[in-house]
Amino acid sequence: MRHALLSLRLALAAVFLYAAYTKLRQPWLLFAMSIDSYQILPEWAVLALGRTLPWLEAVVGALLITGMFLRYVAAGATALLAAFFAMMLRAFLKGMGIDCGCFGLGEAISARTLLRDGLLLAGSLALTWLALRQRWRAKNNDDIISGILRP
Amino acid sequence: MRRFLAGIGLVTIAAAAFAAQVKSRGAASAPITMDVYSDFQCPGCKALYETTLQPLIQNYVDKGKVLLVHHEYPLPIHSHSMEAACYACAANRVGKYDQVCDVLFRKQESWAATGKVDETVCSVLTAEEARKVRALAKDQSVIAEVQSDIQAGRAAHVDGTPTVILTHRLKQYRIPTGAGYDILRRFIDQLLTN
Repeated sequence: MRHALLSLRLALAAVFLYAAYTKLRQPWLLFAMSIDSYQILPEWAVLALGRTLPWLEAVVGALLITGMFLRYVAAGATALLAAFFAMMLRAFLKGMGIDCGCFGLGEAISARTLLRDGLLLAGSLALTWLALRQRWRAKNNDDIISGILRP
Repeated sequence: MRRFLAGIGLVTIAAAAFAAQVKSRGAASAPITMDVYSDFQCPGCKALYETTLQPLIQNYVDKGKVLLVHHEYPLPIHSHSMEAACYACAANRVGKYDQVCDVLFRKQESWAATGKVDETVCSVLTAEEARKVRALAKDQSVIAEVQSDIQAGRAAHVDGTPTVILTHRLKQYRIPTGAGYDILRRFIDQLLTN
C-alpha cells in the first residue's frame, strides 16, 4: 500500500508540474483564452484564473512531491481535477469543439482527452482515499499504543 | 538598363499576381499577422467570423495594426465546403472575397443543407461577376490555390477549424479555438505595446 501511495503521489505530481510548465511557458493571456472558450466564467474570473491557476498547479505538484499536508493536497487536487473534468464533459456534450487547455494549446476536447482526465481524477481520488486511510490507521495505532501505555 | 527595368517589371507583375491570390485584408506593414484557417461549412468558423473577426477587422485590421490572412481549409467531413472554398477563391480574383465570405457564413445553415453554393455566392455578385466566378471556380488554378492553402495548413500543424495563428516579431501564437473577442483584444494590445 505504501508503494501504491508513493507511485500515485509522484505520478500526479509529475502531471501537475508538467501542466503548470506548459502554461507558464506561454503568455498567460493565451491560457486565459482557453478558459474563456468554455464560456462559463465572467471576464474578471477568466483573467484571475488565467494568471493564478498555473501557479496553483505548480504548488500542488511541488507539495505532492514532498508529501507535505498530503490529505489536504490530495483532496485539493481531486477537487481541481473534478472541476476540469466536469467543464470538459460539458463542452464535449455540447459539441463546442474547443481546445482542452490542459497541457498547452492545440489539443481539442475528445473522448481521448476525457478518458485521460477521467483516469487522472480516479487516480487522485484513490490517492486521497489512501492518504486518509493511512492517517486513520496511524491514529488508531496511536490510540492503541497510548491505551496500552496508560497506567 | 533595359534589362534592369524589365526585371523590375516582371517582379511587379509577379507580386501583383501573388497579391491577387492571397486573401488578405489590412496593411502589409502591420506589426501583427493573423492567419485564419477556416471551413465555410464549419459552425465554429461561422461563430469566429461573426463574433471575433468582425470587431477585429473594424478595430485592428482596418486601422493597420493587424494583417488578416484567410486560408481555405475545407474539411472532408463537410460535403459542400470544398465547392464553397473554390467559389470564395474565385470571388477573390474578381475582388469580391469579403462579400462572398460574408454571405457564405451568414447563410451557412441554408446552403449546407441544400448544397446551393452557387446560388448563395451569386446573390452578392453582378451578372458579369457571377459568370466569371462560376468559370473560375472550376478552373484548375483555383482548385490548386485551395489545395495550396490546405498544404500550408498541414505544414502549420492545423488539425481542425477554425485555427488562428498570430505572428508578431517572428514569434507565433496559436489562439485557442472558441476564445472570445475581449480576451483576444487584450492579447493583441499587449503584443502591440511590447
